Amino acid sequence: MTHSPLRWTSLAERDAMLAAAGATSRDPGMAAPSAATAHEDHAHAHDDVRTEASSGPAALDALGSAASDVSRRTFLAAAGFSLAGVLAGCGRAPTQSAVPGSTQPEETIAGISTWYATTCGGCAAGCGLIVRCRDGRPVKIEGLPAHPISHGGVCAVGQAQLLSLYDSRRLRRPTIEGKESAWKDVDARVVGALTGVRSAGGAVRVLTGTVTSPSTLAAISGFLDAHPGGRHVVYDALSASALLDAHEAAFGARILPRFRLERATVILGLEADFLGTWISPVELTHGWRAGRTLEGVPPKLSFHAQVESALSLTGSNADRRFRVAPGQLGSFVAHLAARVAAKAATSAPAPADPSPVPVEALDDLAGRLVRARGASVVLCGSNDLDVQRLVVAVNQAIGAYGATIDLSAPSFQRAGDDAALAALIDEMEAGNVAALLVAGCNPVADAADGVRLAAALARVPTRIGLAERADETTAGLSVVLPAPHAFEAWDDAEPVAGVLCVSQPLIRPFGEPRTLRECLAAWAGKPASDPALVRATFAKDVAPRAGGTTTPERLWRQTVREGFLALRPRPSGAKAYDAVSVASASPRATAPAAGRLALVLGPTVGMLDGRHAQNPWLQELPDPITKLTWGNAASVSPATAGAANLSDGDVVRVAAAEGGVFIELPLLVQAGLADGVVAIPLGYGRLGTDRFAGVGPAWIEARPTVRKGESVGRNVSGFLRLVGGAVAYAGREVTVTRTGARDALSLSQTWGSQDLPKALAPRGHERRDAVRETTLAAFSTDPAAGNEAPHVGADLWSRDHATPGARWGMAIDLGACTGCSACVVACQSENNVPVVGKDEVRRRRDMAWLRIDRYYADVPGSPGDVDVVHQPMLCQHCENAPCETVCPVLATVHSADGLNAQVYNRCVGTRYCANNCPYKVRRFNWFDYASPDSLADLALNPDVTVRSRGVMEKCSFCVQRLHEARAEAKRAGRPLADGDARTACQQSCPAQAIVFGDLNDPKSRVAALLRDPRRYRVLEELNVRPSVGYLTKVRHRDGPAKGASHD
Amino acid sequence: MRHPTVLALLAVLLILVLVVVVQGAGTPLPGNDIGYEPDQPILFSHQMHAGELSIDCHYCHVGAERSRHAGIPSEQICMNCHRFVAAPLASVREEEAAATKEGRPVRPVLSPEIGKLYRAQGLGSDGKPLPGAVPEPVRWVKVHNLPDFAFFDHRSHVGAGFACATCHGPVDAMARVRQFSDLTMGWCVNCHRASNLSGLPDGRPAAASTDCSTCHY
Repeated sequence: MTHSPLRWTSLAERDAMLAAAGATSRDPGMAAPSAATAHEDHAHAHDDVRTEASSGPAALDALGSAASDVSRRTFLAAAGFSLAGVLAGCGRAPTQSAVPGSTQPEETIAGISTWYATTCGGCAAGCGLIVRCRDGRPVKIEGLPAHPISHGGVCAVGQAQLLSLYDSRRLRRPTIEGKESAWKDVDARVVGALTGVRSAGGAVRVLTGTVTSPSTLAAISGFLDAHPGGRHVVYDALSASALLDAHEAAFGARILPRFRLERATVILGLEADFLGTWISPVELTHGWRAGRTLEGVPPKLSFHAQVESALSLTGSNADRRFRVAPGQLGSFVAHLAARVAAKAATSAPAPADPSPVPVEALDDLAGRLVRARGASVVLCGSNDLDVQRLVVAVNQAIGAYGATIDLSAPSFQRAGDDAALAALIDEMEAGNVAALLVAGCNPVADAADGVRLAAALARVPTRIGLAERADETTAGLSVVLPAPHAFEAWDDAEPVAGVLCVSQPLIRPFGEPRTLRECLAAWAGKPASDPALVRATFAKDVAPRAGGTTTPERLWRQTVREGFLALRPRPSGAKAYDAVSVASASPRATAPAAGRLALVLGPTVGMLDGRHAQNPWLQELPDPITKLTWGNAASVSPATAGAANLSDGDVVRVAAAEGGVFIELPLLVQAGLADGVVAIPLGYGRLGTDRFAGVGPAWIEARPTVRKGESVGRNVSGFLRLVGGAVAYAGREVTVTRTGARDALSLSQTWGSQDLPKALAPRGHERRDAVRETTLAAFSTDPAAGNEAPHVGADLWSRDHATPGARWGMAIDLGACTGCSACVVACQSENNVPVVGKDEVRRRRDMAWLRIDRYYADVPGSPGDVDVVHQPMLCQHCENAPCETVCPVLATVHSADGLNAQVYNRCVGTRYCANNCPYKVRRFNWFDYASPDSLADLALNPDVTVRSRGVMEKCSFCVQRLHEARAEAKRAGRPLADGDARTACQQSCPAQAIVFGDLNDPKSRVAALLRDPRRYRVLEELNVRPSVGYLTKVRHRDGPAKGASHD
Repeated sequence: MRHPTVLALLAVLLILVLVVVVQGAGTPLPGNDIGYEPDQPILFSHQMHAGELSIDCHYCHVGAERSRHAGIPSEQICMNCHRFVAAPLASVREEEAAATKEGRPVRPVLSPEIGKLYRAQGLGSDGKPLPGAVPEPVRWVKVHNLPDFAFFDHRSHVGAGFACATCHGPVDAMARVRQFSDLTMGWCVNCHRASNLSGLPDGRPAAASTDCSTCHY
């Protein structure tokens, strides 16, 4: 029977239609509208539908095929039927298991974290960590407050070590010729090979990076004792070889000085990024900051000048900065030495060529250094021996040695010798090396002449390597052994004389790794486990130097618990200063030929020498100066770019003037560089970084972070070469030419100015003052200098929200913040902030809850020079939050303790809140950002929700930490004290620039800081009343409070 | 009958009826697992242990006072007693009598459920470790589940002086654990509000926060 849809507006019309169709009003399926027969017809129609439906699928097919004939009734019936079916299928959520341990380890209670002290393995600096572990695995890295090197700070690389532990690409089993083998087979093969080498009298070489571990050094020397003629070659990819050699010439021993910046009032840095990447940045940042607290009368503020060719993190924080081309650095130092000698009434040769910086500035610098005798220091990161020798002379003349430079308890954080590595490569090429053991370094990728080394490897019959991951070097080795991550192994370290740091394992190793120590012990026929080996060295060499009356056993346990031990330093071997040896230093000034630029290569805060190229947190960390992520770029100054007609994003070919080395990578125009210089970061272009092809959401317009077979960034270590026995990082002549291609740079910040566009700015507000700064001269007379109160209009809201208990607030000292971005990675680690990939960062969809905004200001009278300020920007937890009023579902509300809370399960993804936020700190999950490596999920913090697609997130002031602190205090029956609850960013900052706490507690540090005359709030005139206050930056300068405009 | 207004009113009536039925009959909405009483891998009886033997809740559920999670005891805690108690006393006496009667040494008696525990620990019926056996944890079925976006902290509630039975019901009378309370957000917030008005059981003023961020972060 057909059911034609009848549409009629009057009885007459209906009858007419029925007559036309040949049906009568008594026909079932056509409901009569008249009231009298309505019920009856309705019943008939109902019967029809029942009959239809009861005949099963055929009836439904009929319904479907005659879709236009389906009546409302039928549709509703079908809908009701399917709804009933669906509801019948609705049951309980799937069962969850609760699986306690079979044997619960002591001290482990589900939900309670255990904390272990250990030492960071991110670089050789040896900062102390205390790591939070849950369920038997580490989940958050924090700094050890009492540690004499790091003082509680952890740099960005240190924070990211957690993710490098949970990496499924780490080597797990030994391989011989690429095939997995058992350790006993490997041991047998290696022992056999080494026995053969020994009996044939062949040369054995052990090649490592800087090793500060006494037990490992003892194992290596024991191993080499068994192989006469064997040698341990140490190299650093970021070499301080010239610094070491200069001190050897002057003081008779190859000592790396330990810089005590906390004792310095005048600091001069020459190409030394000591706040960012140079030798021991956390320690040096702490020392630098200690001299700039602005406390006391006159305010304590050191004078920091920096001379460099590229804009480094340290240069961006200096009070005065001089841009000097690489070839001019030697000339500058010669002039400085002459001036210092003149003022210090000693002698030094006067250089003939003109000074690269204005004479008055040079004179002022020299004067300050000499006047602050015993409290001044020159740090030089150049790898030019002549320059370093002159710097030694300058430091000696200003009385730095023994005051701000410690040679009696020196540092061991760099021990590499560039000449020794070059000699090794020559030996290998000549076929004179019978066995090579490479441990913990990747020379093929990061050493000068790495290509030559790779070729020479083939001429070594026995090639053994110990590495955490497969890399460029292990590709050329025959026996590749898995090394453990620093968190999987026992270890000791003496990074600076007098401080012994101990590492303990925090998790059972993945796979079967072995440390170098264990390998050498096994091959010497005396296999022993790591704890035994480390403790043996501890008992023999360390305990006797510790003093005190504790037994070695108790001393060991105490050291493991506390993470470090203070020792009597061994004599460093420094002899009296020998002026003659440095007097002959005469660095030559060079300049590139016309049409060429000078190449400057240096590490970035995230990548260092490239050892962390496999870490997605560090790849996505924006470089503090360029704000570039996921790759490197060639930077040139605006003047140079203009002269060569280059612009941002042009893919350029950087080719060495001689040597045939070239690379193609995008260009970035960077203010603050010396003209005629192209600066490219090291550490990129590593093998295996195409694993990040799967990072980022795979949606229709997605562009992959990296293509298979390519790498993230470009490896520029091919440009490194030895000059005068040391690797030259700056000065090589190159040409930069456009290839015509373009590459979109994925920058997290594309603006550098605080100026509003003229057409849009309200009159009188052309320049925003998100960052306020002043000079020391102005600050000394008026602590509120540079901090004019804004005009805030009438307030609609009354202050009637009671905050019983705590009210959380934060103070950020812009004078202390160096922009190192340790807080950014700490926040990412603590709050499960996802990695989004290169394309999403380019679309401004990066997910960092805390970002460092970087602003430039032109220096008046010095075209080309810029002042830089770094400002951490996070959710300001506004009292009059513009985001809270516009959420249609009240997913963001204000808590009774002053937090702006984001409730993920309520959020529907309107994004109105992000639209309204004036600070643009809200981040939206446009996609599900799962990591392509499922092992990385072990790094997630179990106390923080993992957000799904469609939900807004932002800084929560680490509310999970606040809860934990409050619950613990309540359980222990004590009130919450200042410092009990610390945010992740606050904890990690090496300069302690972030202070968080209870504003309702008048004695808390944060309350005191927010009463400081330096305190201001960003965009205060909007009257959103942020809970985050910033302290003005004070530069050690004369002159009025800041009036310069930003470009 | 097809008049739009009539249909709309019918729909509203239907919804009202549903609400009344659900509220009145106490039928839980989806997501509310009140009454959930799953089978567990071992027939552990709280009625026997917490009821008859009067073992304190915190003897096994160690985390309740100290942590977010109350925790389920590891097999080790069970073995504290069941190292010695392998079967009901009656069975042991029976075996002893049989052994005396038949003039043979007493065989160790192991009840089936405790046998499951022994097997999980890799022990034989005599309580000695079996060669090559690896201890495995018992996979209990979790009765009280909260969704991942809700964080509950046991320690604050235990510290506030609430008896376990307040939320978990008469567990010491349950042979099999049953979810006694709603555990819905409304149920939690109601108690928070009520406590703020009436104070804690021991008379102290309650500071039970009703901020969203207390549980949702």
